[in-house]
Amino acid sequence: QDKRVTGRVIDEKGESVPGATVIVKGTNKGTTTDSSGTFHLNVPASTTITITFTGYAPQDINVGDGRSLNIRLMTASKELDQIVVVGYGTQRKRDVTGSVVSVNERALREVPVANLQSALQGRAAGLEVQKTGTKPGAGAVIRIRGERSINGSNDPLLVLDGIPYEGGNINDINPDDVASVEILKDASATAIYGSRGSNGVILISTKRGRTGEARLNYNGYYGINKVRTKYKVFNAQEYQDLRNGSVYAGGYMPEEQASIAAGRSTDWQDLMYEDGHVTDQNLSVGGGSAGNSWSLGGGYYKETAVLPGQDFTRYSLRATIDSKVGKRIKIGLNTLNTVNVTNGSQFVDPMFPLLTLSPLMPAYDDNGKLLLSPTGNTDDRVGQYNPLFLKNNNNNWIDRITRMRSFNSLYGELQIAEGLKYRINVGLDYRKQESDQFRSSDNAQNPSYFRARLGNTASVNNFEGWGYTLENIVTYEKTIAQKHRINVTGLYSYQEDHTHNTFVSKDSIDENFIQFYNLGQANASNNVKPVVSGAESSFALLSYMARINYSYDDRYLLTLTGRIDGSSRLAPGNKYHRYPAISAGWNASNESFMKGIQWLSNLKLRVGYGQTSNQSINPYSSLGQVSTYNGIGDVGSLGSITRYNYGPTVVSGYNLTALPNSSLDWEYTKTVNVGVDFGLFNSRITGSVDWYHANTFNILYGITLPATSGVRGQYLTNIGEMENKGLEIALSSNNISTKDGFTWSTDLNIFLNRNKLLKLTDGFTQNIASQLFIGQPLTAIYDYTKLGIWQTSETAEAAKFGNLPGDIKLADISGPGGKPDGVIDPNYDRHVIGSSQADWQGGITNRFAYKGFDLSFVVYARFGGLLVSQLHQPFAAYTALLNGNRNTIKVDYWTPENPTNDFPSPTSMTRTRPIGTDLTTLGYYDASFVKLRSVNLGYNFSPRIVRHVGAQSIRIYLTVQNPWVIYSPYMRAGGVDPEATGTGNQGIQNPGNLSTRALTISASTPPTMSFLAGANLSF
Amino acid sequence: CQKKLVEKPYTVFTVDYFKTPSGLQNGVNALYSGLRFIYGSIGGMYLLNSGTDEWTYGDQVQGGGELEMASYALPSTNGHVLTMWNNNFANINLANALIQFAPEVEMDAGAKAVLVGEARFLRAYYYFLLVAQFGAVPLDLGGGELQFNQNPFQGFNRLPTDQLFIKNYQTIIDDLTFASQNLPAARPAGAFKLSKAAALHMLAKAYIYRAYSAAKQTTDFKSAWDAAKTIIDNQGTYGTSLLTNFADVNKEGNEYNPEILLSVERTPGNPIDNEVANIGNDFANKANISLNLFNCNYQNSVAIPAGSAKFPCDRVIQYSRPLRQFVPTPYVYNIAFADKLNDSRYGNSFRTMWRATNSNVAGISPGDTAYLLTASDAEGDAIIARGVPYRVIKPSEFYLPSRPALQMFPALTKYDDNKRQAPNDGSGRPFPIAKLSETYLLAAEAAIGDNRPADALPLVLAIRQRAAYRAGLSQTELEARQGRMRQRNTGTTANPVWVDLGVADMTLDFILDERTRELCGESTRWPDLACRNKLVERVKLYNLAAAARVAEKNNLRPIPQTQLDAINDPDKLQYQNPGY
Repeated sequence: QDKRVTGRVIDEKGESVPGATVIVKGTNKGTTTDSSGTFHLNVPASTTITITFTGYAPQDINVGDGRSLNIRLMTASKELDQIVVVGYGTQRKRDVTGSVVSVNERALREVPVANLQSALQGRAAGLEVQKTGTKPGAGAVIRIRGERSINGSNDPLLVLDGIPYEGGNINDINPDDVASVEILKDASATAIYGSRGSNGVILISTKRGRTGEARLNYNGYYGINKVRTKYKVFNAQEYQDLRNGSVYAGGYMPEEQASIAAGRSTDWQDLMYEDGHVTDQNLSVGGGSAGNSWSLGGGYYKETAVLPGQDFTRYSLRATIDSKVGKRIKIGLNTLNTVNVTNGSQFVDPMFPLLTLSPLMPAYDDNGKLLLSPTGNTDDRVGQYNPLFLKNNNNNWIDRITRMRSFNSLYGELQIAEGLKYRINVGLDYRKQESDQFRSSDNAQNPSYFRARLGNTASVNNFEGWGYTLENIVTYEKTIAQKHRINVTGLYSYQEDHTHNTFVSKDSIDENFIQFYNLGQANASNNVKPVVSGAESSFALLSYMARINYSYDDRYLLTLTGRIDGSSRLAPGNKYHRYPAISAGWNASNESFMKGIQWLSNLKLRVGYGQTSNQSINPYSSLGQVSTYNGIGDVGSLGSITRYNYGPTVVSGYNLTALPNSSLDWEYTKTVNVGVDFGLFNSRITGSVDWYHANTFNILYGITLPATSGVRGQYLTNIGEMENKGLEIALSSNNISTKDGFTWSTDLNIFLNRNKLLKLTDGFTQNIASQLFIGQPLTAIYDYTKLGIWQTSETAEAAKFGNLPGDIKLADISGPGGKPDGVIDPNYDRHVIGSSQADWQGGITNRFAYKGFDLSFVVYARFGGLLVSQLHQPFAAYTALLNGNRNTIKVDYWTPENPTNDFPSPTSMTRTRPIGTDLTTLGYYDASFVKLRSVNLGYNFSPRIVRHVGAQSIRIYLTVQNPWVIYSPYMRAGGVDPEATGTGNQGIQNPGNLSTRALTISASTPPTMSFLAGANLSF
Repeated sequence: CQKKLVEKPYTVFTVDYFKTPSGLQNGVNALYSGLRFIYGSIGGMYLLNSGTDEWTYGDQVQGGGELEMASYALPSTNGHVLTMWNNNFANINLANALIQFAPEVEMDAGAKAVLVGEARFLRAYYYFLLVAQFGAVPLDLGGGELQFNQNPFQGFNRLPTDQLFIKNYQTIIDDLTFASQNLPAARPAGAFKLSKAAALHMLAKAYIYRAYSAAKQTTDFKSAWDAAKTIIDNQGTYGTSLLTNFADVNKEGNEYNPEILLSVERTPGNPIDNEVANIGNDFANKANISLNLFNCNYQNSVAIPAGSAKFPCDRVIQYSRPLRQFVPTPYVYNIAFADKLNDSRYGNSFRTMWRATNSNVAGISPGDTAYLLTASDAEGDAIIARGVPYRVIKPSEFYLPSRPALQMFPALTKYDDNKRQAPNDGSGRPFPIAKLSETYLLAAEAAIGDNRPADALPLVLAIRQRAAYRAGLSQTELEARQGRMRQRNTGTTANPVWVDLGVADMTLDFILDERTRELCGESTRWPDLACRNKLVERVKLYNLAAAARVAEKNNLRPIPQTQLDAINDPDKLQYQNPGY
């Protein structure tokens, strides 16, 4: 008697709801909706089906005799039964008293992305995602409500399916595996993570199986990456003008003279850049019945860059099982396994030669062969080979990082009594990474770009990390007299993590074809000994936590949380810290006196206070350190081990490399958060506003001690106090929803954060060496103020400062008498000129849907703040050093005929000036930008056509990513992208006033735009 | 579970390690190794050579910290002054720790005394280098005077500088005296372990520097004489002697010859053990790029033989990377080495002839002369007149007052290293910092300072006569040249008038000229001039590119701005040296 019912589940905005569970009421029989929100189910006549989906109110529908249903789910904000994931459990949205943002699967899927961080960018108020690299597989800086720690990490805690994701390379996660992301922002929400909560917490839930027929889903796309903006450099004629006006005395190379005669110009970027490709293929199967559900998924992602040799590949495999054992026990397993292969991330990319090779030099000789060393000066001729050799590897190099991670979580849940549950979570995490490098020896037949005139070299770095987490959770739920609802959670957990690496490097491998595979097959003479190093690091964390949620009549809410963390990282006596939190909420719209206000569909006030801290002190930090590290390069890198020799006998040396600090203490933050959630006009407009104020105490900080202290490196200690305060506004609006199915909706978020250093306990008001200034943000930039360029008409005035026309004109701010003294001096005329803190930032997403079509675009904006362009700092990057030796980026430099105030004259840069560091002032630009991040056009085929081909749903889409920077003063000034390419000094020489946390721009793989075409299929 | 919170690191040592015998030895090893920061790196070489009467800058110096140092437009932000500042105090503090902990180390007393002697020598030497550049520097790093500092100290114990300066020199002399009593007399034949000989040499030098300073004691020259003369008179005991041939002293492969008392060691061709990650690109830290810094541009258009448009010389290991930072002033080749015939030291210190490495240029085969730098313009004109195919460069082309250095100039060969892999690489050769010939000159100078110039003369003549030797000279010719070396030319090169050197010639200026002839480019000239208060006078006289700006304040370097930025006293200028 069963009949086949087809339905489509849509939300209030008329958009399809994929993944909704459809169950025949009172049975285990059911299915889930596909990516177009469609389901098919064989049901007896006149049955009731229940449709549920996270974030929406459950709905019962009597099938009746209909065969085709349209079911509109209402967001639970109306019902306020939306379930959100919070730490160690879930809560109904209406019960949440902390500041939590949910990003659901649909929002995550909206834009096809390479990784989770790109998916989150611009999605949530208070969440700032900044890229730190343009190479495939590069990471990102994620900040929730700004920075609270100077020295410790400011990275939020990642929790994947309840288990902390240590060593969190977010690239390890396949975004297609993610079902939802919750961002816990305020202390009342994060205090349950205690010592790791102060940077906010990102809870990631992966997809699990759903009851119903087995379903096969395919999501995939293919795309092309193109260089969006090339770096502007001088062309042949402009370069010649520069070189003739500079101090360069080397003359032109014969090839350059030929170019001058022929009017030939080489655009090295055009010759080098190629189209990159990106593809993402995901297949998953899932289903379940009778309380058991399962899912399997596999993914393949590959991206190649616009520069040869750079690519990133991710293979992922996932499986989940959830099963009921009897009536009281539930067990489950989730295993996520990924292998990443990154090529081309370790060696220096060829951007420097691409920007600085002479445009007068041809790339090829008269026979069409690549010129070996096409430099315009003899100094570079030996070391700089033609970058176009990189287009053909020819067994010349291997630059590969292979990373494997197996992240597993198991749980067992026992229903002890009504409302009383015990749950054990076990997280097992294993990660392994091998970094392989090989550079072949150079010879005339097969020139080796990376080893010009050198023999071969190879290295292998093996890293292994493993850890486990054990969590014992007891929860008790009770409703008394229908109105008092109590929920108690108790936790005892223990976590341990170990990492270790071994690095081996060897020169003079017998044959190039051996590559790095056997470093023993190599010249064993004394002069080319292998280099071996290693390191070990372990930590443990022991925690107790209790939480009480109380709600009265769904109107008054109270949450009390306490946590105690004990960490191995601190010295005895300081190992433990307590983290209390309290928060309260008032669902005002549930009050009887509010019921009459028709336009107000929801109003809730929240207030919370809590303490959290930052435990990112490296293991062993309190012990001090005596080691072989000589302070050169990174610890463990080539040449970083103190050695000496007495004649032929080579010995090691040990020195004090870090001071012990047994009083090292927790850095902790007290946060107050006040928020309001609202829904207007029958929830056509929903949103929230949050204000917060966070004070951080015992700031952990690595002091740069004066050299005369006799201690190299930084001294990690607790030094002071700072604050972060901010405002976050999130709005969702259903603008238009017509009867014939046209909808337009908008999500908007705007947020700002103000960071300020309040106190330094070591007697400083400003610690210039460590770039810390009381009353200023942590990202303050301290330097001279550039007023412009000294002009010919100002010759006499310039001379008073020891300058000539064409020099940078600096502001004379003060002097020994507290007044401008006619002398520019580092002690009186440098000051805080700005910071990289944005005035405000935000994102807006607009969606349009009509019939099967949907169109959306995402815009991301950031206003205010300074960026540091090391490209423009002559001695930082050598890409703007106008000395004529090499080409440079195209800047507007001063000449008597071109009285600009932009860049100084080439001769100014190459003579001594009273302030030699004035050139750093050339690198500061307004960091504001507005970017169109993506445009997406999709089409859902109608169920009739879909069924014709045996599918359940078919959606195809076209996407353009990062097509347009709508506004950016930096780009107007010649930059290629206003977002940072890294942190700290990335230049050749350190400009000296950059902290390691400063976001900086250097010459790196240029920004790209991508054109993608993809399909989501469900069978 | 509580036990799980106790850290048990496998690879992290604490300070207690220095209380063990291997810790003490490995600490001393690190102290030795710290000298690599100074001898060979661009910063160290600039601090010790640049802006003197001997060296001006090459065309490659186009602004930046190099030009600041070479022309005395020297601000406190200069990066090169950090080379000593940022490294020496850490080594001094390590020495403090080792000296302080040594009584607790259970080991053979004799061996321990040697290790402590090495630690005290090196502490003295790190201080000596700093004091010569910066004047008074802290003895109290935060833990008390000459005590190991384990506190995160953010002050700067430099005031009052005049009293501290006196204490600085006393510390240096006390430590070197201890070392000269506790170290083995001679170094091993094949290694540069510290010895009494090295300690006495440095002691003599320290006394001499102090003798010219505000901290001077009336006995200083006498004490310097005693220390230096002890070595000279007991060469057998101290395992040292002058080599017959000056050319052999700095010759590659002959690094461990008995004339060298102390070198900062490196292993040839072994960058990793020399603590250099990228031997072709590292200029700073512990890389030794001295050989490239002194090199001229044998691959530039000015060096192309007329009409060929090609270079007869490739960039090869033998001829190194032409970094063109240090160019000899005309004083070197016109005045100090006016006599390039009898005095073998010019030819044995500078490369003036390059051989072709390819057949690019018609008429020049590999191995033929490719470029020739002549001793005089007249000689150059004569050779050009013969119509040779190679490029002939005359002294008037080495250097132009309007534009200090041209691309081709006599290139110092003392640091040549053929065991490198590539022409751009730095060197792995030991870097000499004390040799017996200098001990002779120190003794002679001490005698002059002590008003006994007659005692100086035989020591100076011994060094000068040795310089006459060249391989292949007949005995007669050698003796004739030795005779000339006992004389000076009061006429011209073309028409010489030879006069015997006498006691009246024994002056500080003569000693400084002789030091140029013997020690040119050996990375001691700048402190030699500054500490003898001769910097301003001789730079104004001989180094036109630096003459305009050099001033008395330049006898000291500025205290680095990074130091002032890092101290917790807002009144930073009181710590700065006068005039900066």
